Amino acid sequence: MTIRWWARLLACLLVLWGPTTLADPRVEARRHFKTGMFLINEGRYDEAIAELLEAYAIKPHPNVLFNVARAHEAAGRPAEALGFYRRYLDANPPDAEKVKETVAKLEPLVPKKEPPPEPVRETPKVEPKRVAPAVDEATVAKLAALAERLEKAVEQAERRASEPAEGDSDALTAPARPSEAPAPVEDFAVPYEETVVAAARRSQSSLEAPNATTVITGDELRASGLTSLPEILRRVPGAEVMAMGYSSFNVSIRGFNQRINNKVLVLIDGRPEYQDFLGVTLWPVLPIGLEEIERVEVIRGPAGALYGANAMLGVVNIITRAPGTGPRAEVSGLVGNGNLAGGSFVASGGDAVKFRASVGYQQADKFSRDYAEGRPDVTSAFPEPNLALRSARGNLTAFYAFNKHVSLSASGGVNRLFTEVYGIGLLRNYFLDGLGGYAKVDFTGGPVKARFFWNHLDANAGPQYLVQGQRDLLTSLESNVFDAEVLFQQGFELGGRHQLSLGVSGRLKRLAWTYTSSLTEELHAAAFVQDEWKLVQWLTVVGSFRIDRHPLIERGRPGVVPSPRLSIVVAPFEGHAFRAMAASAFRQPTFLESYVNLPIPTPGVTGASVLTQGNRELVPESLLSFELGYRGEAARLGLSWDLAGYVNFVRNLIVLSAVQPLPADLAFDPRSQTYLLGRSTFVNDPLPYRAIGGELGLTWNAVRGLDLRASTAVQTIQADGAVVCGACTQAPAVKVNGGFVYRTPVNLDLSGDVSYVSGTTWVEREPSPADPTQILNVQNALRGFAVINARVAYRLLNDRLTLGVVGQQLGPAHQEHPFGNNVNRRVFATLSVQP
Amino acid sequence: MNAVRSCVFALLLLGCEPPPVFAGADRRQNANPARVEGQVVVSSTARGNVVVLLYDAARPPPPTGTGRPLTFALVPRERVFGAVRDFDTGPFTAPFAFSLVNPGQYQLRAFVDGNDDFIPWYGVTNEVNVGDVGGAALDSITRAPLTFEVAVGDDGAPRPALGVPVTIGDSARVTVDRPVFEVTMPGSSAPLTTEATLGASAPLLLDLRVTPVNEGVVRQTAPVFLARFLDDNGDGMPDDANGDGVPELWPRVVVRKLANEAPGVNPLADENDLDRNGLIDETGVDYEHVNPANPTGPPVAADGVPDLVVLAAGFNVMELAPQLLDAMGRVKPGPTPLTRLPLVIRPTALDATDPRRPQQLKGVPPGRYAITVLQLTGQTWRVPNELQDGLATRFGLPVVSSQTFVVRVGPRP
Repeated sequence: MTIRWWARLLACLLVLWGPTTLADPRVEARRHFKTGMFLINEGRYDEAIAELLEAYAIKPHPNVLFNVARAHEAAGRPAEALGFYRRYLDANPPDAEKVKETVAKLEPLVPKKEPPPEPVRETPKVEPKRVAPAVDEATVAKLAALAERLEKAVEQAERRASEPAEGDSDALTAPARPSEAPAPVEDFAVPYEETVVAAARRSQSSLEAPNATTVITGDELRASGLTSLPEILRRVPGAEVMAMGYSSFNVSIRGFNQRINNKVLVLIDGRPEYQDFLGVTLWPVLPIGLEEIERVEVIRGPAGALYGANAMLGVVNIITRAPGTGPRAEVSGLVGNGNLAGGSFVASGGDAVKFRASVGYQQADKFSRDYAEGRPDVTSAFPEPNLALRSARGNLTAFYAFNKHVSLSASGGVNRLFTEVYGIGLLRNYFLDGLGGYAKVDFTGGPVKARFFWNHLDANAGPQYLVQGQRDLLTSLESNVFDAEVLFQQGFELGGRHQLSLGVSGRLKRLAWTYTSSLTEELHAAAFVQDEWKLVQWLTVVGSFRIDRHPLIERGRPGVVPSPRLSIVVAPFEGHAFRAMAASAFRQPTFLESYVNLPIPTPGVTGASVLTQGNRELVPESLLSFELGYRGEAARLGLSWDLAGYVNFVRNLIVLSAVQPLPADLAFDPRSQTYLLGRSTFVNDPLPYRAIGGELGLTWNAVRGLDLRASTAVQTIQADGAVVCGACTQAPAVKVNGGFVYRTPVNLDLSGDVSYVSGTTWVEREPSPADPTQILNVQNALRGFAVINARVAYRLLNDRLTLGVVGQQLGPAHQEHPFGNNVNRRVFATLSVQP
Repeated sequence: MNAVRSCVFALLLLGCEPPPVFAGADRRQNANPARVEGQVVVSSTARGNVVVLLYDAARPPPPTGTGRPLTFALVPRERVFGAVRDFDTGPFTAPFAFSLVNPGQYQLRAFVDGNDDFIPWYGVTNEVNVGDVGGAALDSITRAPLTFEVAVGDDGAPRPALGVPVTIGDSARVTVDRPVFEVTMPGSSAPLTTEATLGASAPLLLDLRVTPVNEGVVRQTAPVFLARFLDDNGDGMPDDANGDGVPELWPRVVVRKLANEAPGVNPLADENDLDRNGLIDETGVDYEHVNPANPTGPPVAADGVPDLVVLAAGFNVMELAPQLLDAMGRVKPGPTPLTRLPLVIRPTALDATDPRRPQQLKGVPPGRYAITVLQLTGQTWRVPNELQDGLATRFGLPVVSSQTFVVRVGPRP
């Protein structure tokens, strides 16, 4: 390579490194804001204003206006201060009365001819002569640079204001519209803090959250280029993502992953995507596209005190963009190897009634096939034997605010889906072909929020590979879940600040499934209370208690399950919080576990079956968790960290029993016309499990445009007295993830991430090769594996057109479960247009 | 532009590639079996599900051999007979199939379960009895059991065996129940319900007496021993095929060592066949053998190969002869139904891994031994079995105390 080549490379790198664009706008804005606040305290008002306006330009926030006003006021510029205070008041802040008093004091100081509100583009101009009476040349130069930055910041803010709003319509120079909906109270919290809703059912800073939480923003999602959410969850410390196939993922948190993982509750805007009949989340066929997601909040640890059943090991709360926000329209498409193709269209807008509508399609082939074509023993059950995923979806969400306190939101979606599901026990690769849908209504009336939703799934399913000459297990199901909840939230003062939440809910589940014989119904009810008590500024105690009524919980009879949580959050310094939490949670038996009655053909013995039966006397799986956490940040450095350690005690895991012989008079099953080798029922595992682990997550906004991220988790699971402990050996001891996002100044976006999961040993049931009528628990070693994903994208036409290439699973081909696909490389091209 | 074109072309090309085949750790996916398909043809007035049993051709079932079925298929009654009248003899046909069959040579047996009492999981219910109609896959010319093959093609892939015919007809109607027996001391009618001990030198004399069991799912109402001297050469004189000076006789008896009692071991499992698949386990108990060349000399050391231990046992031919020979002293042409068989068990143990050349063991291994009677119809009965105390209740079978009996060698543990 010549010197000229190296020079070109260096030039390229310099260009790439140049500071212009943003990786994570929130993090970058926060860094400027924190610096601005620091400078205000230092009395360096003009520099502070420049930083604050830069933050505002990146991501407008009303509190920034307030602080700019304060800085102007302190710098002796009442006119400018007045302008920014008025802008702040336009956003209807909760402290409006107090600010109005300040405005009233300032108004006499300003000449009356000055037209209010003053155009903001003029206000931040800094004249060095007004800043300091006596300056040297260096100071003048510095102030000139500062003025230039201010100009740029204002320019950026103006440009943003002229663009379609992204939920931030109160941009710097745009006059506030009288009809504009008031900003939610939580928007007046500390600006640019990472907020979570899931941990306390209200928006709060991650620092205040009573649980360990991880937030993945929509920007991160889009920057990754990945097509499925579980892939991106690999970056959550403690999360275990197991790809059985292209469209079959099992996600767990802090161990206990399995085929059909059922211990993590997945919500979309508070509506569960947990399929109650099976306990599974059909990740690739969610009714929304990734481009509609505002952020994903992950609660790592129990959240049963708020969400009740199934929020046992964690909650994944997917929050979509509010109707009327985001790009007015976005068209995207992708095509790649493995028959990967897809596209989507999202529109958002509206005036009084805001809406977001989307349609999308995606298809992909399997990573690998279990069997070849044309075999003499096995044939494909489906006319497209290579297909792993096909999803055609549509979604509509509308929002209307009657006034400041009353609003109504309605949404609905459908998904014509084909996906894979890897069954449990002797079952293997299933397909699910059907129609999913939902409808949801949210009503907010002051402190009262009411919600109703209906989840629906109507599908045919069965093994993807049929053994020739053996009875098949094709089935059909129709699941309907109706849920209503009323939540009351109110703050009050009593020995400190309290934030009280009270809620009641009811849920009716109806399932018609040939695996459970007849129409099955369950009625559930719950009530919960939570109080966040801020005794002093640095100490918050969160007490939560929920009680769930389940129709079968007391050995086949109705009963209740309590789920308490106590969390203490100590924040002795700004940006640092220590957390201690104790909580319990549970997972209720699924319909499969309670009601299934399925003779499963014994492989190789055509005339025999193993009866798999549900058990209505199961007690719920339970978790008692103790957690210590520390979350901190050096905001001016763009660095944040999250450290957590936990001890989990897990009891009553629901497992399939060994095959037990049946009484001789039940040996023949007239329904399947086979002899029953025995019966395997769902039972509570008598072993108590103890999981101990720690997690560390780091994010660093290293330089402008570059975000670095790393996390690791270690864990050990033990069960006293276990001869073979599947849950112990199936949990990877070490998980590591690292990644970056870099938005270069030359419109080139780069991102990549690497995940490593250490080796495990899976205990799975298989028929004995010598005697298929014997079902054995076989230990299968699985080597550690690494997942590498990367994206290169180029933005054109002022970011309205983005072309990208994404490489998924770029590391060595591997398995994530001994029976899973050979996960291999997917490379695809993407196109995104925002007209 | 060329690079871009190449890239797009590569993407499109890769997009058309089918996913590779990858078996993973699943044993079934790693196997490469085929299947067997055919038709059952039933010519009978019997009605019931048709049970088809697949045997390794090298280990055929009694009376030809002692093999156990590798697997079985069931053709539902409705599929075979539909709604035809009960006295219609057919023929009725229906397809059957065996899935996941490895390459090899096989034979098929079949029967119509006329009284719906077949249960494959228990020794006491897994054979034909009165009311059933038997059959097999037969050679169309010789009418001998047909041996067919699941072959491996030149490409290494197995080929399914298709179109295998199984014939079931009233000519093979089962006329007797299985030889259900209990054990008594000679001359006594009181059944032994625990054990009898074989001494170190004297033979153990026992009587086997038929006993009906007609309770629950076990329906053996009229058991009988069908006795007959072997006369394969048709000369009218009893054959002595093995040359031990004692003529062979149907039924046959096997006294086999049971596995030592231990947690997790099926109390009915034979020694060195703990998985009860009829094959000697790869690992197990091995004994010293008598050196055939020098019986009184040093024994042949254990060779590490598990042994199939049986006791030298047979029915008292002298006592039975008057009933099995005609007035001329010739073998009666048909079997003689008997209700009692005098059994002699000598204190000699053999390794019958190769049944044609049993090897004498140096001693008689202590432990429990089971008695199995093989009828010339191929029906068998064995004591102890699942009707014994302790097991029967667990399996939902009737408790029959006499079915607990074992022959014991040496002291109780």
